[in-house]
Amino acid sequence: MSTYKLYYFNVRGRGEVARLIFAAADQKYEDIRYEREEWVSHKSEMPLGQMPVLEYNGVKLPQSAAINRFLANQFHLAGKDNFDQAKVDAVVDTINDMISKYRPIRMEQDEAKQKELTKTFLADELPKHLQNLEGLGKLYGSGGSFFVGNNLTWADLYFYDIAQHILELDENIFNSYPWLKENRQQVEKQPKIAEYLKNRPKTSH
Amino acid sequence: MPSYKLTYFNGRGLGEVSRLIFAAAGQKFEDVRYERDQFPAHKAEMPLGQMPVLEVDGVKLPQSSAIARYLAKEFHLAGKDNFDQAKVDAVVDTVGDSFKGFIPTIFEQDPVKKEEIKKKFFTDDLPKHLQNLETLGKLYGNGGHFFVGNQLTWADLYFYNFAQTYIEAEADCLNNFPWLKQNRAEVEKQPKIAEYLKQRPKTQF
Repeated sequence: MSTYKLYYFNVRGRGEVARLIFAAADQKYEDIRYEREEWVSHKSEMPLGQMPVLEYNGVKLPQSAAINRFLANQFHLAGKDNFDQAKVDAVVDTINDMISKYRPIRMEQDEAKQKELTKTFLADELPKHLQNLEGLGKLYGSGGSFFVGNNLTWADLYFYDIAQHILELDENIFNSYPWLKENRQQVEKQPKIAEYLKNRPKTSH
Repeated sequence: MPSYKLTYFNGRGLGEVSRLIFAAAGQKFEDVRYERDQFPAHKAEMPLGQMPVLEVDGVKLPQSSAIARYLAKEFHLAGKDNFDQAKVDAVVDTVGDSFKGFIPTIFEQDPVKKEEIKKKFFTDDLPKHLQNLETLGKLYGNGGHFFVGNQLTWADLYFYNFAQTYIEAEADCLNNFPWLKQNRAEVEKQPKIAEYLKQRPKTQF
């Protein structure tokens, strides 16, 4: 029996997709959550002094994308063959391109500046990424509501998670993107996901 | 045998890792290279209006890392099982983290400012990432010179390529990192890689 331990902060952040994958797969794991003050004493235990880290059968693995893809592969949520897995990776990378433009804005300390940057992001930057994602869903989704091959994959879980941050900026954003709206609804309807979403800790981000 | 077509600019950039993987595998492919002024006419042919794009038996795949990982898996250069593949992904992501800090040095137009951020990158930023990469190589490399499991994987090719960019900007940047230097030397010694490096076009980036 393989053992899985996930080490992260007590937030969704870069750890939540792994938790969603464990939930979708109905796989038990140790969900270790460090508060910021606790983290300091554990930093040196992690290969790169960062989290999330997955410990699989006692061996530590850093880097959230590597962790997520590994778990998805273990639990058959990565795509049915190498090429479908590549399509899933392409969707994930496109989601990353979108969120990498937003993260610096979130870090901005000056409230007025942040408001301005957010406005520009929503108007000028975000639409092309959402259009790209709808484009990939229609190209690879075999006519269904999931991103690749008519099956739930971690690309859907990743989009579901990141989209929650976008919705905090504009709760109506997906009204203009019906395919993406439907995709998220299909994810939420999965019984094991619905159960997990109902029971997970409520955190600030 | 599938047919492979890689479309990118006439440079190394984000396309070269895939070319290195094809070379290491001894696999033929169509190496389509566009000059900057040729690209606009072809932009609409790309799923996300960007390159590189891999076409496999007529189906297009965007996103450089998704492409490289797919090819590596097809040609057994990705790691021997799911967990080794995850270690490879973690190394790739760590190289990717280092490159994020380098990108501003490419696009800064003001020569004084450019020199300043370059200096800061090579003095303060890059060494942390190189240290992390040596840590991973020693953690996952089974005592050998390759990053994971004592065999060449696309993690070694990925580091080889991006380190070349750093070395071209700052020749001494690996001097304090003998493990990484040795790793690059091992990559260069692989006969099919050595042959490819000798013959590939010399380009600006």
